[in-house]
Amino acid sequence: MALFEGKRFVPEEAEIPTSSMADIAFLLIIFFILTTTFAREKGIKFVLPEQKQQEVKLKKDKLIIVAINDQGKVFINDQPTTFEDLHDQIKKYLEENNKRIVYVKTHEDAAYDYMIKAFDIAKQVYQEMKLPPKVALGVIRRRAE
Amino acid sequence: MALKIKRKRQMKAMIPTASMADIAFLLLIFFMVTTVFKKDRGLRIELPTAATTERLVKQRGLSAIWVNRYGKITVDDNFVRPKQIVPIMRRKLSEEPGLIVLIKADKNAKYGVIEDIMDALKEAQAYRVVFVTKKE
Repeated sequence: MALFEGKRFVPEEAEIPTSSMADIAFLLIIFFILTTTFAREKGIKFVLPEQKQQEVKLKKDKLIIVAINDQGKVFINDQPTTFEDLHDQIKKYLEENNKRIVYVKTHEDAAYDYMIKAFDIAKQVYQEMKLPPKVALGVIRRRAE
Repeated sequence: MALKIKRKRQMKAMIPTASMADIAFLLLIFFMVTTVFKKDRGLRIELPTAATTERLVKQRGLSAIWVNRYGKITVDDNFVRPKQIVPIMRRKLSEEPGLIVLIKADKNAKYGVIEDIMDALKEAQAYRVVFVTKKE
């Protein structure tokens, strides 16, 4: 009897279960890795012309002039058109001569969105025809200057 | 003889996992401390959409110019006029030769403002530009 009671009173070692700590910590790491979104920038690349070489004389035949006026109306080589038709028309001009350059001329009061739209369409055509995109940007200033 | 038998008893194979938690928490703390949050808050804008939107591979050496629909321009959260962009971009270009300038403009901004910015960038010789757009 004495022996039995003695066994019972051996004090148990106090312990904090730490074996799952690592699992918890790694789970936290994985959670944060997965939920972190990197703010990757997206957009349309464009390289500005250097000022020194800006005076490049081009024959009018080599340009496809896409003009956007202050009301957001589009013209292609002085012919009125719409953004819906612009794609096919640029394609038509490029198929005639694939060395042509699209020149997007935007009125300074026109919305930026229109320029991007025209630029986007021109780039799409170049991509479809597997040509390197050649787009130039210009501005139409107000007359009273 | 009895001693010999005791010695032959196999030891339990064990991987010491007690320090695992410390390692994991250290990693957590390291990532928390080294994470930098974007400080450039920018303006409230609505980006234009484009089908030919590309993802930029580069993440460093980028500088954003924000333009809201009323033509207000900010660089690094400071309001600037188009002419003031020239010295700012010159300085940035000297620190980072491969600088790419992001133009984050509202779709309803007037094109004249964008043109002024591009003129300023040309003058500062920052030729690489990205018009930031949303994928269609």
